[in-house]
Amino acid sequence: MKKQNKEVLYGLYNDEEILLDAIKVANKDHLDIMDVYTPFPVHGLDPLLGLEESRLHIAGFVYGALGTLTAFGFMTWVFTRDWPIIFGGKPYFSAPAFIPITFELTVLFSAIGMVVSFYTVCGLGPGTENPTLDDRITDDKFCIAFDTAAYSNDQLSKLKDFFKQTGAEEVNTKMI
Amino acid sequence: MNQFTFEGKQKTVLGLFILLGLVCMGLTYLTDDELHTRFWSNFLHNTVFFTGIAFVSTFVMAAFTSAYAGWHTIFRRIWEAYSLFLIVGLGLLMVLIGGVWLHYHHLYHWTDVTALQPYVNDAGVYSDVIKEGFKENPNYDVVLGGKSSFLNKYWYTFGTIITVGVWYLFAKRLRSLSLSEDENGDTSYSHHKKIKFVSAVFLPIAAFSSAAMIWQWVMSLDAHWYSTMFAWYATASWFVAALALTILMIIYLKSKGYLEELTGEHIHDLGKYMFAFSVFWTYLWFSQYMLIWYANNGEETVYFHTRMRQYPVLFYGNLIMNFALPFLILMRNETKRKFGTVGFTAALVFFAHWFDFFQMIKPSARINAEHAMHAHHSAGGHDHEAGGHAVDAGHQFLMGFDFPGFLDIGTFLGFAALFVFFAFSRMAQASLIPKNDPYLGESLHHHV
Repeated sequence: MKKQNKEVLYGLYNDEEILLDAIKVANKDHLDIMDVYTPFPVHGLDPLLGLEESRLHIAGFVYGALGTLTAFGFMTWVFTRDWPIIFGGKPYFSAPAFIPITFELTVLFSAIGMVVSFYTVCGLGPGTENPTLDDRITDDKFCIAFDTAAYSNDQLSKLKDFFKQTGAEEVNTKMI
Repeated sequence: MNQFTFEGKQKTVLGLFILLGLVCMGLTYLTDDELHTRFWSNFLHNTVFFTGIAFVSTFVMAAFTSAYAGWHTIFRRIWEAYSLFLIVGLGLLMVLIGGVWLHYHHLYHWTDVTALQPYVNDAGVYSDVIKEGFKENPNYDVVLGGKSSFLNKYWYTFGTIITVGVWYLFAKRLRSLSLSEDENGDTSYSHHKKIKFVSAVFLPIAAFSSAAMIWQWVMSLDAHWYSTMFAWYATASWFVAALALTILMIIYLKSKGYLEELTGEHIHDLGKYMFAFSVFWTYLWFSQYMLIWYANNGEETVYFHTRMRQYPVLFYGNLIMNFALPFLILMRNETKRKFGTVGFTAALVFFAHWFDFFQMIKPSARINAEHAMHAHHSAGGHDHEAGGHAVDAGHQFLMGFDFPGFLDIGTFLGFAALFVFFAFSRMAQASLIPKNDPYLGESLHHHV
């Protein structure tokens, strides 16, 4: 959540089942949900919000392949061109001996690459300001948020009714 | 529709395949060498492969139950049906045991009793110490002699009977508890608690005994060789094969209209298991290879040397089919959720792990047979060099050893049909879904 100077109307729910039902109602009424915040991944939430499948794993595959090539290529270069040394009577180009390190660098590259990509795309990480709507959505509350700029005053009261009908515990407005 | 009916048409088709297997075995026997090596190694290969699948099915049920897993409950009856095949496996193994005692086959070098003790007298009596009238035994093989306290026909016989018998008793107990839960299960879950207890007892027994059995059945084909990774590696091979056969069975049952509640979510998890265990198999394969390659001890490298130089199609084909293809095909999320791609990969790796066991068994069986025939023909011809292995030069392509021929594939199909026939007959005995299992609800709502 980047700081955008937006006025946000949000409701807090106690349970993920109530949250999912509320989103179904919102979809039926064609309410434009800005975002949903939950303390843990909720099954079935993504298709309800119409979110596409993440492309992060494709990036992960590319980083991993890059790690494979880096490790294998570097070791091949070192042991055949730059500084050939005989280890244990093995040939200079000893592919089986390169495999463990190749494997490790593949994992390392894909893991770190995906973390960096994820943080960059989401605007997280050191030096960024990350306001939360309510601290309890990192603990036990489930939140639906609307961007008030897209709604007129009439419609805002409709949104409040929506929260009331669908069983929200609390409804608040906050600038973020 | 959850009551499986074993239709007459299925019986006919499977019966025809079993017949095909028998015909192929008969033809193999008739066209074989004088020791019938191809016939017996096929018999050993398929027996071990399908008994192993039955064993792994028992093991998976026990492991999942002990780990509080619930998602598999909807198709648990398939594993129960598979696990009961252990009794047929024991019957098939008895044929091999009979062969060891009656010298019908010469699959194992350690059955050569003339090679075990260093001294012999003119009457053909062997001894460990030199005595009056004894001279050095020209056939003496120090490695076989040293291993003879484990690699002998008593261990082979009673180890197999007791171990597979115990596995079968556990499989049968799990099955009968599950069936009686269908009848009298209630909310005290007493049946499930008993299943949990039986499962927990089975796990350590399974872990140790399966290793000992794979040493006896397969690794002792290379009696001079040993590898501490071998038991894990072979069990991982069984594991992937069992998962693949489960997926194929589920797809077949769904195409027939059974297991309607089973969705892409369950297939997704099974696909993940198949993917993960293919990688696990590769990890073990590679660890075994690299340790032996790096240490470079003559008596260890002989296993890989033979396979890489003389059987390159088996050696590299095994890696491509069991690692590269499933790894690349199953990596994406979607391929693990579609019945088509998962089914294709399951069929591929099922065959590929049969091929893996082919690769473990056939080259060694051929070497042993050549060795035995050589010893038959020339007096005192027991050469000690490299354990009597043939040199690279003069290796000739031999169908059924260098590559599976039609007869071997036919035998495989016959055994597979026997396995499926037996599984169908057991599945028809009860509902396909264990309706009173406390974890059934979790399984029906499974969501990845």
